[in-house]
Amino acid sequence: MTKYLGLFLLVMLSITVSPALLRAEDAADIIRKSQDAFFAQGKDMQARVKMTLLSKSGQQRLRELTMLRKNGIGGEQKYFMYFHNPADVRGTSFIVYKYPGRDDDRWIFIPAINLVNRIAAKDSRSSFVGSDFTYEDVSGRDPEADTYKYVREDTIQGKPCHVIESTPKNPAEYTRKLSWVDKATYLPLKDEYYDVQGSLYKVFTADKVEINGGFPTVTKRSMENIKSGHKTEVVFENVSYNVGIGDDVFSERYLRKPSEKWIK
Amino acid sequence: MPSKLTELAVERPGSTVAFVIILTLIFFSQFPKILIDTDPRNMLPETSPVRVYNDQMESLFALHRDTIVLGIENPAGLFNTATLERVARFTDAIMRIKGVVIPDVMSLTTADNVLSENGQLIVRPVMDHVPQSEDEMTRLRDEIYDNPMLIGRLVSDDRTTTAIYVPLEEGADAKVIADSIRNIVSGEKGAERYYVAGDPVARDTFGHNMFMQMGIFSPIAGFIMMIALYIMFRNIMLVAAMMSVAFFSIIWSMGLLIGLGFPVHIMSSMIPVFLMAISTDSVHIFNEFYFRLREVKNKKQAILETLAVVGPSVRYTALATAAGFGVLVIMHIIPVKVFGVFVAFGTIVIRLMSFSFIPALMMLTSDRKLMAMAERENEESGSGSKWLRRLGETGYRRSWIVITVGIVMIAIAITGLMRIRVNNNMVSWFKKGSDIRQADSVMNSLLAGTASAYIVAESSIPGAMKEPANLAAIEKLQKELEGLPVVGKTTSIADIVRRVNKVLHGNSPEYDTLPQSSDEIAQYLFLFGMSAKPRDLENVVTADYDKANIFLQLKTWDAVAMRDVLNKIEEFKSSRPDLDIAFKPAGISYFNMVWNDEVLFDMMKGFILALIAVFIILVINFRSVRWGLISYIPLLFTIIIIYGFVGFIGKDFDMPVSVLSAMSLGMAVDFAIHFIRRFQQRYEEDRDIEKALLWTAARPGKGIIRNAILFASAFSVMIFAPLTPYVTVGLFIAGMMAISSLMTILFIPAIIRVFGRWVV
Repeated sequence: MTKYLGLFLLVMLSITVSPALLRAEDAADIIRKSQDAFFAQGKDMQARVKMTLLSKSGQQRLRELTMLRKNGIGGEQKYFMYFHNPADVRGTSFIVYKYPGRDDDRWIFIPAINLVNRIAAKDSRSSFVGSDFTYEDVSGRDPEADTYKYVREDTIQGKPCHVIESTPKNPAEYTRKLSWVDKATYLPLKDEYYDVQGSLYKVFTADKVEINGGFPTVTKRSMENIKSGHKTEVVFENVSYNVGIGDDVFSERYLRKPSEKWIK
Repeated sequence: MPSKLTELAVERPGSTVAFVIILTLIFFSQFPKILIDTDPRNMLPETSPVRVYNDQMESLFALHRDTIVLGIENPAGLFNTATLERVARFTDAIMRIKGVVIPDVMSLTTADNVLSENGQLIVRPVMDHVPQSEDEMTRLRDEIYDNPMLIGRLVSDDRTTTAIYVPLEEGADAKVIADSIRNIVSGEKGAERYYVAGDPVARDTFGHNMFMQMGIFSPIAGFIMMIALYIMFRNIMLVAAMMSVAFFSIIWSMGLLIGLGFPVHIMSSMIPVFLMAISTDSVHIFNEFYFRLREVKNKKQAILETLAVVGPSVRYTALATAAGFGVLVIMHIIPVKVFGVFVAFGTIVIRLMSFSFIPALMMLTSDRKLMAMAERENEESGSGSKWLRRLGETGYRRSWIVITVGIVMIAIAITGLMRIRVNNNMVSWFKKGSDIRQADSVMNSLLAGTASAYIVAESSIPGAMKEPANLAAIEKLQKELEGLPVVGKTTSIADIVRRVNKVLHGNSPEYDTLPQSSDEIAQYLFLFGMSAKPRDLENVVTADYDKANIFLQLKTWDAVAMRDVLNKIEEFKSSRPDLDIAFKPAGISYFNMVWNDEVLFDMMKGFILALIAVFIILVINFRSVRWGLISYIPLLFTIIIIYGFVGFIGKDFDMPVSVLSAMSLGMAVDFAIHFIRRFQQRYEEDRDIEKALLWTAARPGKGIIRNAILFASAFSVMIFAPLTPYVTVGLFIAGMMAISSLMTILFIPAIIRVFGRWVV
């Protein structure tokens, strides 16, 4: 028993002086900065996005879209997405209004039947257009939904990082997530997701970071599902910030008839 | 002429025994490496086209090989807060079990429903929260029963039952996971009943039970044989000799099987009991030895003389038995092959022991005891022998009556043979009252079926599965398949498209159809894939839209059920020559059908070969075609009667039963060889047919009956086994022994009387 007592004291002592505890305050802050750097850089953004969905058996599904984003006040955001490929869905587009702390509003336009329909977004766990990214992975998760812990410092891809552990307050897809946040740019370089069985099931990596219009931007990223062997690779091309996208772009009229200017 | 081997054993009994024990230890050292395999896929070689195609399709559509189904039934109705809360809680708990594929667990709380509400399109879990009020409950119920895709799969028609589908990671032990699931539900106090079903549960439970079978029933069978032997010979040493031979042969062949890296399958798990039975052939040696010892009063001389007269028959019966099993080598079904080879190997081991180990042990037994026992053996006065003599007399003196009765019996048996149905069904390998079988039948009655298969619609043109005409064809085929009594439900890409179409148009019934343009279909699927899980679409269609997967739920695990499905598909194809789509089967039920057919074909082939091989051995043995034919008659008779009976009682001709056919050949022929050989020897000494026949019935006949009793008693233990194949095997072997031993003693005299001049 005394043996364990000694061990216990030793552990307690190491905890009290560990840098992790000293940085606990910072953990949530780092994640917030990281979210801003990754999902909300600039006032607005325009990009051409190419997604490759790779199944374990080697099949490929391609998705190509134009993505427009405009930041509002208090963390609100509007997204517009227009699909160029696959060819038979060309013209399909949708709008997302993001609000911090409540469900998004989404509308979709289906050209084949010339119909705009509102779609409910109740399940943040659902996949974004069949990829391994969820809607949360595409436009950010509410920072209030998790609690954070500073784990350690680490270096990946030659860049010094903070390693932060996130734990959801309410049941989510993951039970634990480790994020490697670049100390310099605050961009997430890697995320590891752990499931209820405690095993790693999904890994996000930022494969390429480039400076666009003064903003460090992740232009190539991938999400791999370790257990299913399914993987999604995403490339951002022609990324530009602060291009002056007007609010009218995010309306039903534009859904049906997007302007050539934005949908290149 | 005693053989060199026997002389050596008699001269140096101690060294012989020691040598055999050392060899046995070497084989025994392999046992810890044992592997168990119950996967029906492994019945076929890895390179077989069926298996290759199946693996390709599983990977292409990201399908799980093994899924366990947990059925939750509340007879008072599913839609109450307490029951649904349990469903939610169980789903969460099941996801925490190691080996479960978390994202693909399908239950009310995880499966997606596509619906329309106030003009909004919603894709969300069927039950995203447990309703707490009456209104919410009614709404949930209506939502669910509005979506035909969910009925029969996730909920029962009668609103009492829901299911949780639990896919397993490859290599996970389904029994362990099934037990964890049972643990999760076992503490509940509600009115719900729980059923754990699914092919992997049956398979792995079977595997676990097989161990029990080998570990418990083989020793019990051995113990019963020991008691029977002791009653017959009243000598511990002889009982020990025979039991050791059985024991050694089991260790040698199982040790070799495990050592060579073969997994133990249902068939090979029966090897120990078979070898135990085959080892009883040594009874003939003891039987003759006792008679001899009384006559010559010298142990060593008695041993050598016994082996000189019994030796040839023992050698040939061994050869015949080994041939009967050896032909299984040419089979396609791997476990059957392995079984055949190792039983044949064990048989040869037993024979070698008969000529070495047994005489050596006899030498080590005290003379006085043996003499005391031998005094009781007398073919004139022993009660058993008297009775047998009478039986032989009946056969000889009323030969025509006996033969006529035989012919009538065969005619009746042949009508039974005509009714035999070849079918395998793993679930029915469990007893009627067992949890697995009950769970399976309840789930099959409440939901659309626990057995699954796939029909893959293939086209050479990318994008074909977005063409309205092709989707309509798939839907038409589904309708026809669902018309079959064995098919509970089918699900395909067409169902998804139809559903999205209806929901997008505000749930209007007039849009409950397939769209008329391929763009529309593509966009609906895209929309569906926008909010569902990647797997939802991946399971039903390939990325190029050149192949679609129709998922079948079958009401039964019967291998023959799939035959109906294939016939229906053929019928459909010939009615639609315009279609540019091939429909190919895959999945576990199809697998069962394929190897089921293989078993039949293999067995027919093997059986004919074994018949030929055994006949050749008989002819060589008797150096006469005519004697070969005569000794053949009891054998054929026994087989026809046994299988006629199988046909009459409506028992499926499944893998365990089919193996009996090979077994019966090898066994039934033994008695005829012993009988006729000894008759010939006796006839040479004193040329009187009737006397010689009656002597044979009384003296070697006793050996035959002793052998049959031992054999039958050892196998009868299996009647109490927890798995039906063992029960079947036990019953049939016991029956076979009884019939073929009596046939030999009654019929051969009758035949020799009628055709006597032709052969003698």
